[in-house]
Amino acid sequence: MNEELIVAFSDLEEEKAVRLVKERLEAGDDPMVILASCQEGMMQVGKRFEACEYFISDLMMAGEIFKMATAPLEAHMAASGSREKRGKIVFGTVKGDIHNIGKDIVVGLLKAGGFEVFDLGIDVPPDRFVQAVQETGAKIVGLSGLLTVAYDSMKETVAVLNATGVKVKVMIGGGPVTAAVKEYVGADAFGTNAQVALRVANEWVG
Amino acid sequence: MSSEALYQERHERIQKTIRLEPVGRIPIAYLGPAFTARYTGMPLAEYCEDAEAALAATLAATKRLDVGAINSLVVGRMPLILITSWLSHVKIPGQELPSDEIWQVEEKEVMTVEDYDFITENGWQPFLDKHFPKVADPAYLQESIAWVMANAGRGVPLFRENGIVTISSGALTIPFEHMCGGRSMTSFFVDLYRMPDRVQAAMDRAMPEILAAGIALAKALGAGGAWVGGWRAASGLVAPKLWNRFVWPYYLQIIDALLTEDITPVLHFDQDWTRDLVRLQELPAKKCILNPDGMTDIRKFKELLGDRIAMLGDVPASLLSAGTPDDVVAYVRDLVNLFGGRGLILCSGCGIPVNAKPENVEAMVAAGKEFGKARV
Repeated sequence: MNEELIVAFSDLEEEKAVRLVKERLEAGDDPMVILASCQEGMMQVGKRFEACEYFISDLMMAGEIFKMATAPLEAHMAASGSREKRGKIVFGTVKGDIHNIGKDIVVGLLKAGGFEVFDLGIDVPPDRFVQAVQETGAKIVGLSGLLTVAYDSMKETVAVLNATGVKVKVMIGGGPVTAAVKEYVGADAFGTNAQVALRVANEWVG
Repeated sequence: MSSEALYQERHERIQKTIRLEPVGRIPIAYLGPAFTARYTGMPLAEYCEDAEAALAATLAATKRLDVGAINSLVVGRMPLILITSWLSHVKIPGQELPSDEIWQVEEKEVMTVEDYDFITENGWQPFLDKHFPKVADPAYLQESIAWVMANAGRGVPLFRENGIVTISSGALTIPFEHMCGGRSMTSFFVDLYRMPDRVQAAMDRAMPEILAAGIALAKALGAGGAWVGGWRAASGLVAPKLWNRFVWPYYLQIIDALLTEDITPVLHFDQDWTRDLVRLQELPAKKCILNPDGMTDIRKFKELLGDRIAMLGDVPASLLSAGTPDDVVAYVRDLVNLFGGRGLILCSGCGIPVNAKPENVEAMVAAGKEFGKARV
């Protein structure tokens, strides 16, 4: 692990993080090792968020830094086929809701955490989630919504998933989501922030 | 009792609540706007298109619930408020959405980083003049604004004639909120880290014009109160170093300007503001109202500000949609007990959602009347 890179990430020093990744690549370091340091930096960001030292704006900036800094790594790893994922997740904002901010934060964090995320976008009907699960073999589905009207869309999506017999775990999240909403919808977990989504996903893949 | 006498009684009760004096009965206020359409059987498309009908429906909903006040009276087309607040395209029922589907603000980067410099060099209105055609049909905007200009002064007297107090009408917000909408939240937040001085220069240039326009409209609407809107600037979303620089100083400017004009600031603060509640101690005592949406810790609010600021709220949207009447009654009872008969105007936290169950909303009002009386 590269401690300087981890600290640059966790301190949200964008220029330094981008520069360090470039330097290590040019020095011939293994891209997977560099990526691991970037991911550790993101983990530190997540811990600071859970400790209420960082806030959503910090998560957004961290996501942007991760995207910018790791872009050169993607090309190297795609060429070598050496990117192993922790698991596959289908994610989307449910039908009737076009909000994407929360979803994008969670998707970014899940990707940084090593998951392969299939982002279906916004206003996604239930059968599109089913189709994506069947096509990708994902075992986890994430449903996002900011409006209270999203509850019924989430409920319908869970019902349709259950009816088709696909074996998936469903997490829900978004501004108005609570434990009571989770029960109403029939989901397996709910999260009030992106870090919870990452923790739940990690628990589910073991 | 005549409508005017009823109005005076209710008005005085609300003023005493703002001054944190004991009242014989806790005031109860209504806030639609989306629920207004459903509750009165009006398609959302009509509510959005016909400002006259929307005003009449709002009055009908308030009277049907038999409450004495309205939190914020919308005069004009609802989409206009959303477009001008967040500088964003709004999907409108009956236009881009089915006739009875809730309107939605489209989160998309339209404002560019170069626009910060444009604002700094040219001012806020010139920026709006070139920005709005990118997010809304100019003819729609012109027609909607013209209606407001012609009818601004009609809403408050209409409610007064029916004995109902309008706590606020019109809203101001900080450049942070406007620009966050125009840039899209992710891009704007990243701008604050990458180019803080550039963003702040634009905010400082925009502020005098935002204040002038907002206060002029609030005066024309004539409620004696105006919203000071906070949504994406909430403490739960924004890092302290950003909040201290780009959020709070601008709110202080708005609140000070409103108080100078004898307009009560209603701090309509959605999301979680708990971390920075202590900053509200900087505000003059017994002059402002905090209107949270159920996400801010109201026990912390009571501890820090119970002797300085009244609260309007805060029955959560999720409870009114997914809860039961018993859940709502329990929430109201706890709320009333917490405030002990002073400093509370019972209301939903933020607008009652479009899919709120009418029985839940009616239970909120009934519980407010039952638990909120005779504590003196």
